[in-house]
Amino acid sequence: MARFSFVRRCLGTGLKWAVLLPLTAVAAGEPLVIHYRAGADRLVLASQDARQQLLVTADGQKDLTRTVTWSAEPPGVVTVDRTGRVSPVADGTAKIVARDEQGQTAAFPVTVTNAAQRAPIHFANQIVPIFTKNGCNGGGCHGKAAGQNGFRLSLLGFEPAEDYDHLVKEARGRRLFPAAPERSLLLTKGAAQLPHGGGKRLDPDSDDYRLLIRWITQGMPVGRADAPTVTRVEVFPTERVMALNSEQQLVVTAHYSDGSTEDVTRGALFEPNDKDMAATDAVGRVKVFNQSGEVAVMVRYQAKVAVFRATVPLGLAVNQLPPARTFVDELVFRQLKQVGLPPSEVADDLTFLRRVTLDVAGRLPSVEEVSAFEAAVQQERREGQPDPGDSLSASAPKPAWKARDAVIDRLVGSPEYAENFAAKWSALLRNKRTEPRHARGTYAFHDWIEAQFDRNVPYDQFVRSILTATGDLDENPPVAWYRQVKSLQGQLEDTAQLFLGQRLQCAQCHHHPYERWSQADYWSFGAFFSQVAYKGGSQPGEDAVVHRRGMPQATNKKTGQPVKPAGLGDPIDRLSADEDPRQALAAWMTSPDNKFFARALVNRYWKHFFNRGLVEPEDDLRDTNPATNPELLNAMAAEFVKGGFDLKELVRTLTRSSVYQLSAFPNEHNARDRHHFARYYPRRLGAESLFDSVNLMVGAESKFDGLPPGTRAVALPDNSFNAGNYFLTVFGRPDSNSACECERSADASLSQSLHLLNAKDIQDRLAADVGRAAALAKDTTRADDEKLRELYRLALAREPQPQELQLAQEYLTKKTQAAPAGKDAAETEAARMKARREAYEDTLWALLNTKEFLFNH
Amino acid sequence: MIALPGTARRFCDGVSRRNFLRIGSLGLGGLALPQLLQAESAAGLKSSQKSVIMIYLPGGPPHQDTFDLKPGAPSEIRGEFKPIPTVVPGMEICELLPRLARVADRFALVRSLADGIDDHSDFMCQTGRRKGNQPPGGWPTMGACVSRLLGPANPAVPAFVGLEPRMQHRPYNAGNAGFAGVAHDAFRPAADAKSDMVLNGITSDRLGDRRTLLKAFDQFRREVDSSGLMEGLDAFNQQAFGMLTSSELLRALDLQQEDAKVRERYGQGDPKVHGDAAPMLNEQFLVARRLVEEGARFVTVAYGFWDYHGNNFVNARNDLPLLDQALSALITDLHDRGLDKDVSVIVWSEFGRSPTINKDAGRDHWPRANCALLAGGGMKVGQVIGATDRWGGEPSERPVLFGEIFATLYQRLGIDVNQVTIPDLTGRPNFLVPEGCQPLKELIG
Repeated sequence: MARFSFVRRCLGTGLKWAVLLPLTAVAAGEPLVIHYRAGADRLVLASQDARQQLLVTADGQKDLTRTVTWSAEPPGVVTVDRTGRVSPVADGTAKIVARDEQGQTAAFPVTVTNAAQRAPIHFANQIVPIFTKNGCNGGGCHGKAAGQNGFRLSLLGFEPAEDYDHLVKEARGRRLFPAAPERSLLLTKGAAQLPHGGGKRLDPDSDDYRLLIRWITQGMPVGRADAPTVTRVEVFPTERVMALNSEQQLVVTAHYSDGSTEDVTRGALFEPNDKDMAATDAVGRVKVFNQSGEVAVMVRYQAKVAVFRATVPLGLAVNQLPPARTFVDELVFRQLKQVGLPPSEVADDLTFLRRVTLDVAGRLPSVEEVSAFEAAVQQERREGQPDPGDSLSASAPKPAWKARDAVIDRLVGSPEYAENFAAKWSALLRNKRTEPRHARGTYAFHDWIEAQFDRNVPYDQFVRSILTATGDLDENPPVAWYRQVKSLQGQLEDTAQLFLGQRLQCAQCHHHPYERWSQADYWSFGAFFSQVAYKGGSQPGEDAVVHRRGMPQATNKKTGQPVKPAGLGDPIDRLSADEDPRQALAAWMTSPDNKFFARALVNRYWKHFFNRGLVEPEDDLRDTNPATNPELLNAMAAEFVKGGFDLKELVRTLTRSSVYQLSAFPNEHNARDRHHFARYYPRRLGAESLFDSVNLMVGAESKFDGLPPGTRAVALPDNSFNAGNYFLTVFGRPDSNSACECERSADASLSQSLHLLNAKDIQDRLAADVGRAAALAKDTTRADDEKLRELYRLALAREPQPQELQLAQEYLTKKTQAAPAGKDAAETEAARMKARREAYEDTLWALLNTKEFLFNH
Repeated sequence: MIALPGTARRFCDGVSRRNFLRIGSLGLGGLALPQLLQAESAAGLKSSQKSVIMIYLPGGPPHQDTFDLKPGAPSEIRGEFKPIPTVVPGMEICELLPRLARVADRFALVRSLADGIDDHSDFMCQTGRRKGNQPPGGWPTMGACVSRLLGPANPAVPAFVGLEPRMQHRPYNAGNAGFAGVAHDAFRPAADAKSDMVLNGITSDRLGDRRTLLKAFDQFRREVDSSGLMEGLDAFNQQAFGMLTSSELLRALDLQQEDAKVRERYGQGDPKVHGDAAPMLNEQFLVARRLVEEGARFVTVAYGFWDYHGNNFVNARNDLPLLDQALSALITDLHDRGLDKDVSVIVWSEFGRSPTINKDAGRDHWPRANCALLAGGGMKVGQVIGATDRWGGEPSERPVLFGEIFATLYQRLGIDVNQVTIPDLTGRPNFLVPEGCQPLKELIG
């Protein structure tokens, strides 16, 4: 049959076939190529068990593996199944041919040796991966620390020696039954021939099942002690541009310590990071759906991971782009062109003003700022210097770039910039008051943080001061961090997550399931903190932090062995007992070559301004969780390092970009965009900014215990004010419990809605005699429309639309006229006054409940 | 053919093969229920809404004066109360609980709750965890987990409603949403949200005006947000407006809508705040029932103040009859309405009390043993699980962990504690109950 079809195909293709015959000429860029690994131009199958998944790619991008017809010539050496998987038959050489529907073909040479021989089975390399692939050792099943129903496996097979003991030696050996292997509990349960809580995991007609039978039949060999181990896994291809609703077969190759390789595609696990965008199947096929964007697929085999990235373009022509004002724009626009996703227009000037003031200063722009900005915009328009880079249509007024840049410079130079970022960092740095006596420390630490931002201390110095903090709170406020983060584990985990974007927590007890980090990495990172000691501070009940003399080391809880400090894979040489190892840690982290430090910060700041990280979550920069725009992340990190870790400059770079200033309103193509920043993604105001904005609107002063009246919530020194302020609690102000930005909740809830719509506290302030509504009602010097304009400018930093103005005016008039007549003119006037005041209260109330007010957009 | 010696050989752990087979077949029985439910839903049968009512007794009532009496103990231990028989043969409870005695076939007692800690706090009862060494974000309450996992069953009623007031002893309110996220915290109509639920300084006409005005102003296009947050916000606003005018939630909270006879059955209770904890609002038991009927999945009530360091018997004579009436009414009511298969009820506290009566005729904290009462939820009721020693000091049979009770409640909600996880703030998945805790086989059969 195979021979027949091969002959038929040869006849059908005629000349083209003859051209393709020199097999070595096959290379990328050819119309049709067979391959399985970068740089591999031939295939050798060296045992009966060897298999190889092949791919057929057209035009360097399009996967045809499942649509071509496969054959091999001469027959009898290998077979190729429908999916492109090659199995050996007998020793010899052959040529594998794939032929597409148009009759184009590609060929690939294959050699089979030792076809009659089976390699001895190795437990760790061959049996354990079966448990991982079939989900037996997952965290939800037997991989739990206590196992499941008495049977325990190590999580994801990270500890094969333990697995061997549990399988072979526990339960009186009844799990495995060499005399009748298929009756082994492992198989009867796994195949659900006996009731199994996890259902059917193994098909008796599968390679996995047959391999388990063979292994049991052979007497459950452990395998050679000196057998090679997997040093890395490689996925091929590593990236592709994939059409909407298309498929890509992946090939996974394990590289062993002896230099050999093996196709482990069928043994690997595949997991897309965005399940709305793509799905994978057990044999390594990625299917993307009808949604453009970036998606990554994590590939796991044994303890190793690799990642495949797919860009799924929308494929439209991108002709009109805003001017590229910084390198950020260039890299975002380049990607938008690649994926064919047209961006929204640049937002209008006032929208930008509101957005950037909230993001940089954490507050709404004042009415005066709005007016001054409008004046600057008018001035710039009059000067009328056309921007040569501006290719936008002439219909909309051109963005007043100069006025916008001036606003950025003013805001970044303002004390509120420092206040706003101090609020952000104070929560992340766990500036938490758990007892009243902590206040001295939390106030001092908060002030210190604010001062660092105000003086624009370079970020590397900022972090160094915290990590190496020594001494007393009075002299050195950052020791407050060590007061709140007391354990070695806490110190290392916070440091890794906050400053390096590495979540190490999992590696404390087992190899990190999504990362390369092992317990050795975890504890040797912790060793940097091993010499941190506490002694009595200058005040009773306060600790001072000191360096305890001695060689830094920690104990790897897995092995019980001491480990020396190492920076996530980078050993640190020659630390003496007199040196504080935290200095070495800070030096390693802040070195320009550090792979994590700058990337973690720029991604965190990107998220702050763009409301979605290039890597999301922003502090989880795993290899298996790649950035949606890696070039941009790298460029920003490089620029940040080159510029001396200048945070204000970073803020300016981000906010000056056209990308930051894009409208939030989608065009007809980018409404579903979540990855490419083709428009601005709106975000609800943070709890503090919202609290301050509501106060500003109603014209009330805040009252926080022990702080001057009118203190903004953004300027609160620590978390302790949340408990007495339901507004801040219910809108999710963080409690400084963790180093994770995710503690700040932006979710909506019924309690929030109810509070904002109907809180007594807000109503009281709306209706206060000293409030804004009362003042507006009393003010007879200005017409209603003027006052309403001011309200709109205050709340939304824009002029009301004519219909909005009309609506509000009508409401004021209607309410005033509906006031009951009194028995004399004075009484009637008083009733009208009251009605007007209430109408203003209602208008204010309605404005501060609009989505336009609640969101930064 | 080889004949093996016929003596009953035991393995070293004392399990004979015959026993083993018996255990094995019990295991099969345990698997039947989920399969049954699956078959039921596959057959298109209406699956009823499952929910939990948790009644927390702050301070810890004396287990030996309520559900685990020790009439045979010396007088300085056994106290003043006599046990009375219940409708369940062999199950005796305190003479001050006659109504419960009559419905004992509709609840189960756990008399061997073993892992309480000496900490006046609802934390253990709400989360099933200890306070120490919490994962980033903190352990969430079961209600918050349920809200996060299942969401609201009725968009007009929050999934998790906490009826307790803000109690003066702050640790009685220690349980919170933790890493499940503040949006999943209890909706608290008797505490934080209380004042927001009644119109504050404006008439309902004026609220109507405001709502119209807001609708006219709020023209911001929702399509700018693809995250769903704006949509969610609109939905919650609508719910809130509904609540401020009239709504399912408000109706559930409004007892005037309930038959006067039913209200009477639950009793008056005592609206005065007891100690530094909660009042004894019997009506909240009824509100809880009304809430789960309207779609709430998890409702908590805090009831009274049970920290009887002094005057144990005087206090108990005051308090127990109130509890007796409210709880027996709830159990009966759920049963009469056919809700006893769907609504699980748990009544418990942070710890039990000391066997020895102190010089003030009180009993002190005793975390080593305690009782819990479970009803409804389709559980096997009319039984006692576990026992304490003759002084009521230590579990002597079948010690039960808080986590096992939680696992049971989750199981009743259709949530598999062996599969489902919620990530903490570092993204690490956390199981819902402590390692190794499984649903109590005795209850779910």
